[in-house]
Amino acid sequence: MALLALGREWLLRELLPLVPAEREREVRLLATAIAIAEREAAAANAPARDVMHALEELYGEGDIALLLARLAADLRVGAFEICEPRARAARAILWRLTIVKLREGNPSFLAENGFGD
Amino acid sequence: MAATPLPPFDLGALARFLAATSGASSVEIAGIELLSGGAIQENWGIDASFGGGDLAGPQRLVLRTGAATGIPSSLSRIEEFAVLRAVHAAGVAAPEPLWPCPNPSVIGKPFFVMRRVPGTAQGRQITSDPAFDPGLPEIAARLGHQLARLQTIRPPRSDLAFLPSIGAEEHIASFHRYLDAHPAPRPVLEWAIRWLETHRPAPLPAVLCHRDFRTGNYLLDGAELTAILDWEFAGWGDPDEDIGWFCCKGWRFARLDREAGGIAARAPFYAGYESAAGRQLDPARVFFWEMLANVRWGIIALQQSDRHLIGGARDLATAIIGRRAAECELELLMLLDPGGAPTEFRRHA
Repeated sequence: MALLALGREWLLRELLPLVPAEREREVRLLATAIAIAEREAAAANAPARDVMHALEELYGEGDIALLLARLAADLRVGAFEICEPRARAARAILWRLTIVKLREGNPSFLAENGFGD
Repeated sequence: MAATPLPPFDLGALARFLAATSGASSVEIAGIELLSGGAIQENWGIDASFGGGDLAGPQRLVLRTGAATGIPSSLSRIEEFAVLRAVHAAGVAAPEPLWPCPNPSVIGKPFFVMRRVPGTAQGRQITSDPAFDPGLPEIAARLGHQLARLQTIRPPRSDLAFLPSIGAEEHIASFHRYLDAHPAPRPVLEWAIRWLETHRPAPLPAVLCHRDFRTGNYLLDGAELTAILDWEFAGWGDPDEDIGWFCCKGWRFARLDREAGGIAARAPFYAGYESAAGRQLDPARVFFWEMLANVRWGIIALQQSDRHLIGGARDLATAIIGRRAAECELELLMLLDPGGAPTEFRRHA
């Protein structure tokens, strides 16, 4: 993680000024990719565990990939539409799933929309 | 004009094609550059001097051709050329189409040539540079007006017989097909698609839809709207589809608060459209199409990422874009379940 942060800082501070203007976007993209990798490494498996816990509360124990596929299939056919508590629980999982993805992929978008620390 | 990267094709063959189609005795290509912004297509800016013929003298042109990998819903370049010809003839602000070339032997793949139009299409620049600000509400109104003009093109049209007709039902079916084949489940998209299925409005008579009508796909030259670009997704569809797409949060760039493409409130955009179209917009219909726009953009982002993960495209931008699907999913949740986020995720004042 520290290496990734160092590499990203070096890229933006030392290399970017040397790059012709038409290639700057690519360097910034590379810096973004490193930042995402850095956040993913820092979060490790915590986001998956968080989502898993919520899925198990809805469905009971199971493999996370299978439970997510089951949630997707249930939502497609409106399986929760006749039971508001389960619909609410499903919606809470959707929020959690989305926010943990954005915490790693694009935390600034979360902040711009009123979420985040 | 910057000369990097060099085009992977024979400029001599291109010059001979330009001369033959324009009736020039010779064409000299003085400069060529890859223009920015083409994630799916390549656009090459060309400075050329024509010796006689239809375009005698110096000309600024754009050669548009496909990138190494595409996404399934885009038209071929020759079909896109036909759309460009139709919209240009209808008076829509679009680059003048010049010549199609279906023959892959000239540059290795089909392409077409159009006039190069001045201006910037950079969404972040347009939405964040204060120099643009004073003119943006008027630009929004003009874009609404342009959209109404585009919608005067209606089926059937023999010159556009190849265009797909895609209503809400067909969109929803294609979303399901994509998700069924995608390796990772996307529950938020599934929930939103279910909402679309159960809230589908009665269709209106079909019109020509741009299907990527948004900030980032038009050129501004100062306070002037000079051209609407990128017609590769055009097809027949609902007149509110492009309205919803334009207002979708994914295209607001630096100004999420300006709901019409990041450049203005909805009011001037709607007013420009309504005055030219002679039709009042129904907010419930626009909401439906904005929901659909968010689902569609999320799936396009995943498809782009597939080009990297499955199609083998070695491009960092393509690899990263799949993560933008989660931005669409957040917006879908905010639209369908406002205030529903668990309290631990809400920002404290």
